[in-house]
Amino acid sequence: MSQLLILPVILPAILAGAIILIARNTLNAQRAISILGTIALLALAITLIQAPTQSYFLGNWPAPFGIALVLDRLSALMLLLTATLALIVLIHTIRTGWDTKGRHFHALYLFQLMGLNGAFLTGDAFNLFVFFEVLLIASYGLMVHGGGEARIRAGVQYVAFNLLGSTLFLFALATIYSTTGTLNMADLAQKLPQIPANDTALIRVAAVLLMLVFAVKAALVPLQFWLPGTYANAPGPIAALFAVMTKVGAYALIRFGTLVFPTDLPATNTLLASLLYPAALATIAVGALGTFGTRSLPRQIAFAAIGSMGTLLLAVSAFTPQATAAALYYTLHSTLATAALFLIADLTRCRRDGMTAALYMAAAIAMAGMPPLSGFVGKLLILDALRGDAIAWAAILIASLLTMIGLARTGSDLFWKSPSTEAPAESKTAILLCLAALATLTIAAGPITSWLTLTAEALHAPTAYIAANHLGGTK
Amino acid sequence: MEILIAIAIGTLTACGLYLMLRARTFPVILGLSLLSYAVNLFIFISGRIKLNAPPIIGEGSQYTDPLPQALVLTAIVISFGMTAVLVIMALGAYLTAGHDRVDTDADPEDQA
Amino acid sequence: MSLALIAALPFLGALTPALTQRFGRSIATLTVALFTAAALALILNHLPAIIVGDTVTTQINWLPALGLNANFRLDGLALLFALLILGIGLLIQAYACFYLDKTEPYARFLTYLMLFQGAMLGIVLSDNILLLLVFWELTSLSSFLLIGFWSHLPQARQGARMALATTGAGGLAMIAGLMILGHIVGSYDLSTILTQKTAIQTSPLYLPALILILLGAFTKSAQFPFHFWLPHAMAAPTPVSAYLHSATMVKAGLFLLARLWPVLSGTPEWFWIVTSAGLITMAFAAKVALFKDDLKAILAYSTVSHLGLITFLLGLGTKAAATAAIFHILCHATFKAALFMLAGIVDHATHTRDIRALGGLRRAMPITFGLATIATLSMAGIPPLNGFLSKEMMLEEAAHTAPWVIPVLATLAALLSVAYSLRFLTYTFLGPIPAYSHSPHDPTPGLWLPPAILAALVVAIGAAPMPLAGWLVDAATSATTGEPIHAHIALWHGLETPALWMSLAAIGGALVTLGLYPALRRVWDATPKPQAKVIFDASLTALTHTAHTFTAKLHNGSLSRAFAAAVLTILTLGLYAYQSAESLPGSRALAAIAATPAVGFALMITAALAATALHRKRLLALLLVGIVGLILSASFAYLSAPDLALTQITVEVVTVALMLLALNFLPKITPHETPRLRKLRDASLAIGTGIATAALAYALMMREAIFPPISAFHLAQSLPGAGGHNAVNTIIVDFRGYDTYGEIIVLGIAALLIFALTESLLGTKWATRPDQSAGDAGDPHPIMLQTATRLILPMAMLVGCYLFLRGHNQPGGGFVAGLVFAIGFVLQYIASGQDWAAARRRIPYHAMIGAGVLVASFTGVGSFLAGRPFLTSNYTHIHLPPLQDFELATAALFDLGVFLCVLGAVMLALDALARLAKPQTAKDAC
Repeated sequence: MSQLLILPVILPAILAGAIILIARNTLNAQRAISILGTIALLALAITLIQAPTQSYFLGNWPAPFGIALVLDRLSALMLLLTATLALIVLIHTIRTGWDTKGRHFHALYLFQLMGLNGAFLTGDAFNLFVFFEVLLIASYGLMVHGGGEARIRAGVQYVAFNLLGSTLFLFALATIYSTTGTLNMADLAQKLPQIPANDTALIRVAAVLLMLVFAVKAALVPLQFWLPGTYANAPGPIAALFAVMTKVGAYALIRFGTLVFPTDLPATNTLLASLLYPAALATIAVGALGTFGTRSLPRQIAFAAIGSMGTLLLAVSAFTPQATAAALYYTLHSTLATAALFLIADLTRCRRDGMTAALYMAAAIAMAGMPPLSGFVGKLLILDALRGDAIAWAAILIASLLTMIGLARTGSDLFWKSPSTEAPAESKTAILLCLAALATLTIAAGPITSWLTLTAEALHAPTAYIAANHLGGTK
Repeated sequence: MEILIAIAIGTLTACGLYLMLRARTFPVILGLSLLSYAVNLFIFISGRIKLNAPPIIGEGSQYTDPLPQALVLTAIVISFGMTAVLVIMALGAYLTAGHDRVDTDADPEDQA
Repeated sequence: MSLALIAALPFLGALTPALTQRFGRSIATLTVALFTAAALALILNHLPAIIVGDTVTTQINWLPALGLNANFRLDGLALLFALLILGIGLLIQAYACFYLDKTEPYARFLTYLMLFQGAMLGIVLSDNILLLLVFWELTSLSSFLLIGFWSHLPQARQGARMALATTGAGGLAMIAGLMILGHIVGSYDLSTILTQKTAIQTSPLYLPALILILLGAFTKSAQFPFHFWLPHAMAAPTPVSAYLHSATMVKAGLFLLARLWPVLSGTPEWFWIVTSAGLITMAFAAKVALFKDDLKAILAYSTVSHLGLITFLLGLGTKAAATAAIFHILCHATFKAALFMLAGIVDHATHTRDIRALGGLRRAMPITFGLATIATLSMAGIPPLNGFLSKEMMLEEAAHTAPWVIPVLATLAALLSVAYSLRFLTYTFLGPIPAYSHSPHDPTPGLWLPPAILAALVVAIGAAPMPLAGWLVDAATSATTGEPIHAHIALWHGLETPALWMSLAAIGGALVTLGLYPALRRVWDATPKPQAKVIFDASLTALTHTAHTFTAKLHNGSLSRAFAAAVLTILTLGLYAYQSAESLPGSRALAAIAATPAVGFALMITAALAATALHRKRLLALLLVGIVGLILSASFAYLSAPDLALTQITVEVVTVALMLLALNFLPKITPHETPRLRKLRDASLAIGTGIATAALAYALMMREAIFPPISAFHLAQSLPGAGGHNAVNTIIVDFRGYDTYGEIIVLGIAALLIFALTESLLGTKWATRPDQSAGDAGDPHPIMLQTATRLILPMAMLVGCYLFLRGHNQPGGGFVAGLVFAIGFVLQYIASGQDWAAARRRIPYHAMIGAGVLVASFTGVGSFLAGRPFLTSNYTHIHLPPLQDFELATAALFDLGVFLCVLGAVMLALDALARLAKPQTAKDAC
């Protein structure tokens, strides 16, 4: 059995452990470990994305009795996205010296990556909870990195709200275990269709509770309240990294919505889709109005991020392979676009020169879904997948307009009305990398979407995923 | 017994939620503690109730479901870590802000 | 490939100014002009084929799954526009080189200009409507940058944003419209779409598609009521106005109407919407132009009016009208671009654009005057210039269209057009010479040559329309209508053509109008006019304000509100999910209620309720919550969960201790502040959710799992497979050891976070010194307690070791052991105070956590050596009297990692509190 599957989880943990043990007082060593570790994670992700669907049985216990990791196209994709973003953000952090503004940045950062990777790889529902907690607690640490009243107070809200989410997660998991006697996701996928039609109420409750947990992560209205304060008050690079945090929620919604509670499951049927759809529309509205009506840039980006989650989940809520493929493309796009904007916002605090303005324009274009960047492609993919749904079209297009006007106004206020070049210029390498990633996403949209289409088809017919768990005990 | 436990879970949940809805950090933390008791008990009963049947192999002839207990253990530890973090953060917020209100201003930069 | 290259050339050119600007303006301009000229040459290369009616296409797959491909086509219509874009583009580049001030960022200007050129060229060359949309939106964006070029001017910023908002909104509508069109046809390729007239016009989606597409076209081409942005776009430097806002970009909407003419036109819907929009725009804008005093404003409204004219012609849906439209596109581009450039020259020479302050320039600026006369008369439609030819064709078409209001309005518009043109010319160049600040004179040839070339074209096309423009109009019209067209453009059609009489009427009327101008102007000035900008600004402000208020009210920073919304959602959706399906009644037998647990549970419930009721007294509430925790531990013990009981009780002690220490800094009383109504809301939410949770718990307890639980495997394999008697322990260190691995990471992170936060708190100045309430009286560290706890510590350590070792078979394990150790230290801390803790700060808690993580990780990795997955355990039993038979397993090593992490985390948290306490003790030190 290949040990590669576990490395995205334990490599950052070991490196973080090493930092705490031997390098906690030497910044350069921490930076080196952090950068090398992130590059290694990127290399791992590139290797794994080419691998076939496979599993990894922790402790050598067969599924569903032990915990299984399952690598499929989707999880590999999320690993790659995380590693790419992580490297970009890390470069920005080091070049701008954010990591010197508090202790333990690098250890927390690596733990954060561990949590994310763990969540994307696990094939066990309870283990997903554990890694949610790992990534959350690391994010709490990163969120309040550097301290300050506003940040800590926003941090308290962030922690408290997510604790409610975690508690809900446990309620949902307990209900699932109590009804079905299992926690392995593939096992659930096999067993749920056998539930008698006259006894589905409890599993439906569990499904809804679980989806609500993921909706908290994905900042779906009305569970989005935690996001603006958190993103706007987090250190710039951390807000950029958090662009992938909401995607964890989206990932889990897609995973459970296609594997465990697909729309052809008699017990839940279209229950989740029918709840997700209006929530996604409301999320688009709240995000767009927030972007349009807010003047402070970080907060505005936070709302734009909410809006993009709405668009993404609107596509998800269709639960068709085409829409899912579009949603996946949009996931890649909106993560990188949000991150780019947050990194740029970080630079604009002291200096607003022409170069930064150009970068802002590019990132804002991407975020608002204007051509030529990937936002436009993503938007077209989603519109095409949702053809015939006039409400969805109107929502996406109007939101796009409001986002564009809002970001244009802020940009013109920042760079045209009050340009400033007094502070020394800071490194823009990371932002350029991020925009380059967006450009790649655009230019290579053809091959990427064909790959994503296969991914989406595999998600909607998850036989390979289930088979990889060897539930019959045959290895 | 089951009715009693259900009532206990319900009460703990209700009390926890009510405290979480208060406007100061300390009651919110207490509320979250109560809520975590409730959920621990809830996970525990997902394996149902069996008296005098601890899952120690070799002691007795029947065992209660050990898995929920293991899950509760994990949940307890995690919620312990989370509570500790929240306590210190709340303390930090109080020390820097001079008060312990949980609500923040909507948009400090936006008031103009 | 060639077409894609042509489309790419301007974009490549856009990259060069950054590199060439150091060599000076001329080099930079020449370089970009080279790219434009190259594109032009490549287009001309295809000319012979296009003239004979061929279409050149290039296909590059970009996103075949969606149908978005880089497909280009060059036919007559594209040719006409490409020639305009590139030809006038060259002139504009030359003009701009001399026009812009030396201090201005010229390289940036050129870049924007080339970006626009590429986008515009892309629109006309696209053979894929999604690709066309890409370029379409790009023109809006580059126009935004160019209008806002003088970004220090508020009107530039506002004009830029207004243009972006308006054309952007139209662009989004057009996305929807074009995508619907593509869905009807089943392809986004124009080549396919243009063959599907019947399918499109019979589709029920025709009307929505048409309206959405027209929204895009009308906003771009400034058709009423979306015309308002164009005059404000005049804040851009004049070369931009000449290029984008008269000759090219604003014609993109017309291009689209012409492009889709074969499949969209010919229906009553098309006719009525397009002709009326065009006609109203034409007449209305001409009227406004008559009363404007700013040179560029007059030209801007004139442009709007002429765009209306072309729209009107396209709306008519006849081939003759289409021919006229195409011809007027060409004519208008020549004279209007020239006029804008000339207006720029006047502005430069006199430093004003207000025609009331101008006059008499014919002597000072003869060249400018001559050129302006030609272009203005063409704009007015005076023979023998090209503007006359196309206007005649328009009037001829109008004359043959019912109802009567159409020819009347067309004539009226022509009349106004003559009037404002003459006013423009006479006010600027004729009449007395006002006092100019310095004497105006003709510019260098660099500035007047470009308009001169255009003026020459105006004259030449007027004189010899067929040889000079006939072939182009034929090619473009044929491509537009899809059928071979041979236009007959001539100066003289005979006396019986109605257009001649309409023209004459217009000219006569115009002279009368100008004669009455002062009176008309007084009426105009006295009539209140809805100012489009005011309305636009007001609606945008109102919308922004609404959005802002909505957002601020929704996201008011209230955590309680967020909680309430979340709880309500969870409760509602949970209930909905439950009641919308069936559930079998539970059938398990109830466990008997014994007296002791009943009392215990009653106590627990009472304590919880009391804590809630008395929560304002914080210490009391904390103790009550602690009591709840303790009874919960006891319940676990009673309910066959000794491990849980042990863990819960130790965690409880440590948590309460930590919170007690924290409470030391916090206010002891929660102030009264929540209103009664909110308490009621909170209480009902809480009680409702409590009842639902209780019901759910009861329902679950009353039934068996539908499938046999996987824990049967754990019970069966605990001893033979994992080598432990305690199934709970084997699950957490072996079957699900990976969960535990994650869990200790959580604890480790918690400790790091607490440490880092404390560091940053110590670095910042505290807002207030927490008030120490008077209740703290008495000796803080009673000697009895100190002594007692010093004894407790070794005992705690002994117990901890014991629990650690027996964990695999009996309740216990690394976690509990770590906590028991920690309890010993915590008690010591409470008893002896921070000084004692400070003295022990040398203990490297960090190292403990790091080591714990590494020990656990490497224990797991160890199994790689045997080729087994992470955390595969290996064990052997060891019998060490007098201890119980215990096992030495890799799981025990793993448990050691757990132990280290737990102890390190708790101690680090404690240490943090101790250090926060330090600044105070400086004051209170006893």
